[in-house]
This record gives sequence, C-alpha cells and structure tokens, in this order.
Amino acid sequence: MLRDITIGQYYPSDSVLHKLDPRVKLAGTLLFVVSLFPYTNMTVYLITTLFLILMVTVSKVSWRYILKGLKPVMIIIFFTAFYNVLLTPGKNEIATWGIIHISYVGLRKAFYMVLRLMYLIIGSSLMTYTTTPTKLTDGIEEALKPLNKLKVPVHEFAMMMSLALRFIPILMEEANKIINAQSARGADFEEGKFFERAKNMVSILIPLLVGATRRANDLALAMDARCYHGGEGRTKMKPLKYSKRDFAAYVIICAYLVMVLLCGHYNFLHINM
Amino acid sequence: MIKARKVVYEYYRRDENNEIIGSEKAIDGVSFDIKDGEFISIVGHNGCGKSTLAKHLNALICPTEGTLWVDGMNTADDDNIFNIRQCTGMVFQNPDNQLVANVVEEDVGFGPENIGVPTDEIWKRVNDALKIVNIEKRRKDSPNHLSGGQKQRVAIAGVLAMKPKCIVLDEPTAMLDPSGRKEVIDAITMLNKKEKINIILITHHMEETLNSDRIIVMDGGKIVMEGSPETIFKQAEELKKHKLCVPQATQIADLLKNKGIDIDRTILTREELVNEILEKVDMQNIKQELKQDSKQDIDLKENNIKQDLTLDTAQNFDADTITSSEKQLQESDNKNDNTKIKLIETKDLSYIYEKGTVYERTALSNVNITINKGEFVALIGHTGSGKSTLIQTLNGLVKPTSGVVYYNGKNIHDKGNSLKKLRSKVGLVFQYPEYQLFAETVIEDVKFGPKNIGMSPEEINDAANEALKMTGVSDNLYEASPLELSGGEKRRVAIAGVLAMKPEVLILDEPTAGLDPAGRDEILGLISELHKNGLTIILVSHSMSDVAEYADKIYVMDDGCLFAKGTPSEVFKGYKELEKIGLSAPETVYIMEKLKKKIPHLEKYVSTEQSFDIITPERAADAIYSLLKGKEKC
Repeated sequence: MLRDITIGQYYPSDSVLHKLDPRVKLAGTLLFVVSLFPYTNMTVYLITTLFLILMVTVSKVSWRYILKGLKPVMIIIFFTAFYNVLLTPGKNEIATWGIIHISYVGLRKAFYMVLRLMYLIIGSSLMTYTTTPTKLTDGIEEALKPLNKLKVPVHEFAMMMSLALRFIPILMEEANKIINAQSARGADFEEGKFFERAKNMVSILIPLLVGATRRANDLALAMDARCYHGGEGRTKMKPLKYSKRDFAAYVIICAYLVMVLLCGHYNFLHINM
Repeated sequence: MIKARKVVYEYYRRDENNEIIGSEKAIDGVSFDIKDGEFISIVGHNGCGKSTLAKHLNALICPTEGTLWVDGMNTADDDNIFNIRQCTGMVFQNPDNQLVANVVEEDVGFGPENIGVPTDEIWKRVNDALKIVNIEKRRKDSPNHLSGGQKQRVAIAGVLAMKPKCIVLDEPTAMLDPSGRKEVIDAITMLNKKEKINIILITHHMEETLNSDRIIVMDGGKIVMEGSPETIFKQAEELKKHKLCVPQATQIADLLKNKGIDIDRTILTREELVNEILEKVDMQNIKQELKQDSKQDIDLKENNIKQDLTLDTAQNFDADTITSSEKQLQESDNKNDNTKIKLIETKDLSYIYEKGTVYERTALSNVNITINKGEFVALIGHTGSGKSTLIQTLNGLVKPTSGVVYYNGKNIHDKGNSLKKLRSKVGLVFQYPEYQLFAETVIEDVKFGPKNIGMSPEEINDAANEALKMTGVSDNLYEASPLELSGGEKRRVAIAGVLAMKPEVLILDEPTAGLDPAGRDEILGLISELHKNGLTIILVSHSMSDVAEYADKIYVMDDGCLFAKGTPSEVFKGYKELEKIGLSAPETVYIMEKLKKKIPHLEKYVSTEQSFDIITPERAADAIYSLLKGKEKC
C-alpha cells in the first residue's frame, strides 16, 4: 500500500524543468498555488489549466504517473465536493431535504474546490517529481537563509530534512522486517479485536523506536568523526548558481501571474458559471 | 603517528537521578606506539574495549587518565579536534548508519564540505577518492541501492576525501557477506600498500588480520598480546583464553603438532601449510612407490591426475550434476522412507517481488526442496540470492506467486489451515533477532509468542521458562530489561522467544551474524544441541564453515534458483562453481585439494570421494597425519 504513493517522489528525467534551480521551482510553485485562490472565474482557470498542461508536458513526467499521484487524495477531494454540493444553501435551490441543500451555488463551489485541490496537488508534486530531495533541501536552505538573522537554525533544519529523506526507506524496510518477525511469533495485525491489534502494535513500535534511536546515535557519531560541526565555515560541493534559464523561468512565471491578475479583474472572455 | 601512554577510560553508571552509582574501566592503562604507514589489527571479544579505543583515536572521546597523541597532537586539546579527525578518518560497522547524503558522490563530499574545502577542490578529491576504491560507476546512485560491500567502500572513499594519514575501521566487515568482506579487505590492503595510509583494523575475523604488520589483542580493557601475526597465532592456547581463535590453517597445523608432527614455523595460510607438509612428505619414497605401481613417468602421472581433477570438478557442477545428486538424494530418500517423514516440501515455488511495477524482480523461481523430520538442513547463498524469501514462504509470511508449500503433506495456503498455527510449528528466527525485543522484561518478551497462539497461562509460564533454560539464559536475567543485556544474551532471549511456541521446525536466518568467535561457537553449539533434542533445523548462512560440521543436507541458492543440493561433501566437490556465485567451501577443503594436486600419492590414503568428507580441521589433521606416517587409509 505504501508503495503506491507517488506523491513527493522524484521522477528521473532530463527535462528543462529538472535542470532548473530549485529556488526557481520553489518560488514558482508557491506563486502558482497562490494564483489558484483569489478568483473564481472560468477565464482564469482556463489559463491555469493551460499553464499546468504546458508545465507537465515540458517536465516529461508521464501523465499516468501524475494521475496516480492524485489517487491517495481522491477521498479528500471527493468529500470536499460532496460536502459543498449537499450543504451549501443558496438561491435557486434544486432540492432541499432537511439540512441538505443542493443549489447551483453549491455545485459551482464544489466544481472550483475540486479543481483547486487537484491543481494544487499536481502543481506541488510536479516540483517534487522534478527535484531531487537533496536539491530541494538545498533550495529551501538558500531560500530561508534570511531567517538566519532571526536566529532560526536554517541549516540544521535543512540537514535534518535531508537525513530524514535518506532514512525513510531504511526505516520502512526495518518496520517491514519487524512486522514479519512478530508475525512469525504469532502476532496478528490484520484480524482480531481492535484492542488486541493495538496491543500488538506496541511490539512493532518499540523495536522501531529503539532501532531509530540506535541509528541516530551511530549517525551522529559518524558525522562527528567526519568533522561535522553545523553550517559554520562549511563549503558546498554543489553550490546553487542561477543560470540564464533560471532567469527566463522567472520571467515566464511573472508573465503567467500578470495574465491571471488581468483575467481575474476583467474576465475577458465573459465565461461565467 | 599515534602514541598512547597509560590511557584509561571510565564509563560511569548512573541511576535515575543521574547520580553516579559506579564506574567501569572500558580501557585500563593502555600504552602503544603506531609508526607511519603501519597496518595494525586490533582483535578481542565483544566488550573488550577495542571500539572504545578506536573512538579515542578519532578524538570522539578523550581519555579519563593518560594521554594520547595523534600525529603529535594531544587529543584532549579542544583546538586540535578537527585536525585530528581529519588526520585519522573512521569507518564504522553498520554501512547504512554512516552514510549521510542521498547520492554517493555527495556523501563522499560531505567531509571536505565540513572542513571548508573550496568547491573545485572538493570535486577533485571526490573524483580521486571514488577512483581509488573503484566505485565511480555508482557515483550518481542512492546509497540505498548499493550492496553492503559497496556501501563500506563509499564510506572509505568519504574518509579518503579528507586526505587522512590514518584510517581506523571499527569492524567494517561484521555485517557483510563473504564477497563484500573480501571487497573491503582488498580495498584497505591496497590503501596501505599503494597510498601508504596507516590502517587500524578492528575485527573478529582472524583471517583478515594476516596482512597486518602487527596484531594487538585486547581483553578487559588491557592490551594482553602484541606482535606480528606469526608470534600471535603461535599461541593458540593463550588466544583461546581471551575467547579468540586462530585461522583454520593454523588450527590444522596445531592439531598436527599435538599429534607429534614436528612443525617449527607458525602456519598462517593454506599455502604455507601445504608447503610445510610437502617438505615433510618423503617424496623419494612416494616416487618409488609410484614407480612400482606403474612404469609411467612420474610427471606424466602427475599431469594426468591434475587433468582428472580439473575434469572432475568441471563436470561436477554442470546442470546434470544437480540431477545426478538429486537422484542420489531421491534414492537415499527412498531407501530410508520408513525412517524419514517429509515435514516440509515445496513444489515449483516462485515469487515475483512487486509484480507489475517498475521494481519487479524475481526473488524465487521454481524452487523444490524437501525437509525431513529431524534433519539439519543448511540453506546457503550470498545476500540477495532469495534464501530469506524462501524461508518466509515456509511459514506463510510470504505467499508464493506460484507453486505450493506443503507442511505435513498439506498445502499451507488451503482454506481451513490456520497460518497462525503453522507459524507456531515452523518457528522462524530472523537475522539480528535481538532487534525485535520489545517487552519490559526478558520473560515477558519470551511469553509474547505463546500468548499469541493462545496457550493457557500455566502453559505460557512453563513454555517460557523451559525455552529460556534451553537457550542457557541464567534465571537472574528473567526480570531484567532486554535492552540491558549483552549482544549474545539478547540473541539467546530472541531465540527463546521462538522456542517458547514449541515449534517442530526451527528456521534461523544468519544466527551468528555480527558475533565474535566465542559467541559464534556458543550459538552454533546451542543449535546443534536443539537438533539433538529432536528439533528439525533449517540454518540459513553464507558461511560454509559454520554449516559444514552440522548439516545433513545443504541447499545452495543463487539468483532465486536452487543452484546445488546434497550432503556437505557432495556440495563442496563443486567448490570452483561455488566461487563463481560468490561463495566458497570451508578452508579445509581447499587445503586438501591443494595437497592432492601436489601429492598424487594422497589418493592411496584418501579416495576422491572421501576427500570431500574432510571438511573440518580435525578430520583434515587426521588425514594428513596418516599420510605423513604412511599408514593406510585414515
């Protein structure tokens, strides 16, 4: 089950999007997500849809993979739609039954909500699909650097994040091993009473916790032995450098934003729903 | 390079309020000197203080008393700390827990980044380091996709990129299989010879110390022996006192010495042993005997035999050998049908991992094995050969993609067959089983299994006590927390946890992994004891020497397929083929083969068939003794 989740995983390819500086992608994703919210008119959504399709095509990530990424959040999207359709009162109601109101306003709201959520997830996962975890943490560290002046330990957070990313697969494997080992001792994690199962979970969680602590200890020692002493005086093997294509990308993002703003204000095409 | 004077390190034991309630000297007055370019091995049983000593060399900890200088720098001086760590790099035991980055090359660059090396220089160093340990091809990979041996080489490269004068390796091979172990040892030997880097190797495997200039033996925090490999291994008795052993060739030589054969030198390798014996054998005598046997020229005869031998072994492991040994096995199965009851049988077992995804991989393909009641079966294969998957199909933890597993003649996945019940009958002890202990006390942990399978409270109590007694856990530990025990004790408790379910079959996955020689012998002894008490045993291992002595039958796995099967001697006959799949026969088999090539006469005393029965040092010593004494047969 855990293996089906494609959100947040890296999709190796050599597209322009993959080669962009992570800071550009971070900024771009953030602005794209913001652009989804202020307006609810069709013209804007036409632009965002076209922009998203363009980006996915450029990224060379397969559509199947992208849609698969939506799968685990489908339930949330469905409930949002359900909730909006059934519980929004308004004019021109189609049907009312107790607290349930089905109205055009509700349908409209549900429609935009679903689009927003889907675009939000596709947009942000497109960033993780095209950026290796290391680059992503580098980008976050660089982007948050100004916070250093406020005594926020930015480097330490970034290091923690990248270590977490390295150890997630290892800990998942360990969890699997422990589950198997306890199953071999007759523990049942699938059937039986809830209380029994919860009690059996302890037999997984404790060894996992002990194991993670042991690994953390080993790792700290190994990092110490390799002269790690925080971000101070540290150089970078792969420092982030803007290139021409990054500036071009910033221009494209700005152009997109301007278009969204203009369309949001004037609703050129006069498509209303 | 390194100078230690009366170094003492004290651990403080504290109670809940952080008050010191006692102290223990992990290192107790150690003094030594290490010269530039030396290759030093430090050996000693678990808990003898060798790892603590290693941490001192890297200034990870400072001596409580005494002084330690690394390249003229006092480790107690805080200003030197990063210079010392740069000067003496360290490689640890667990390959996973010391790699920091998600990409190989970035991990190698981690050290230089920390000490502020400019970007261009980092790249140069990383490229050089990757080249030296020969892992350039995987530089863009994630460490998670590498084998254990490769990961350790990346760790070594990471240290090399800091331009150290000395590398300290703390049991770098303990968690690796034989081929990974060889990779690492070859790499560090090369570093010492070519790059002139000081090597300090801490290990449990005596064979790995043979290349070193000097061996330091530690026990109870003290240096108890020190000297060249020859002088150290000369004193087998003394080593035994410190819970250590000698290489197998040395062991055979010692056994011969005890029988009255006069061997002056200390034998360390199989070549030395063979040469020594050849000197002793009266070649003149043999030649005459052979001349009487046949009028042919002795050289011709020698050549013939050589050819015969190579032919023999080449044929032995062709596909048809498997069928022939299969026939033999079947015949012997048929012969003993009355006494042997088939307990577990698999029919064309296949398992495809993550079928239908990009990660699809065949873990098992068409595996057929039979395990009879009361047998001691060994399952051999290198890491990733499918042996762990196979054992998990036997108790239903892994459901095969196709094929059937029979237990007592019944398909275990048939409806109405309870897998829970099966798992209590087929007990499975995983690799590093101590990592699954979770309860507050030892006895509670052992009771977990019996409780799960629904025994009555009295039965649970009896079963737990009996299991702990069987595994030799002393009763004052029953109420202790499993986390407080030593490594060997934890492993016993974990085995007891499975035994308490009163299984008919006990499957153990690498039960000796990571243990020191004494711990290994203890666990193997325990398993053989359990077997004598009537338990059917399936032992999974990558060490041939571990299983040679005990196993009735060996199954060899490679790449998800059954590669060979038969009695130990049948399987070891194909030692050349075993090498191709990253395994090896016990040292003794090689020694006897080498001898046979040199002394055709040996055939007279030991027939080809028999020679592969000689799989333990004791039997080898007997055979060689009778050869030297000219007695007929052994």
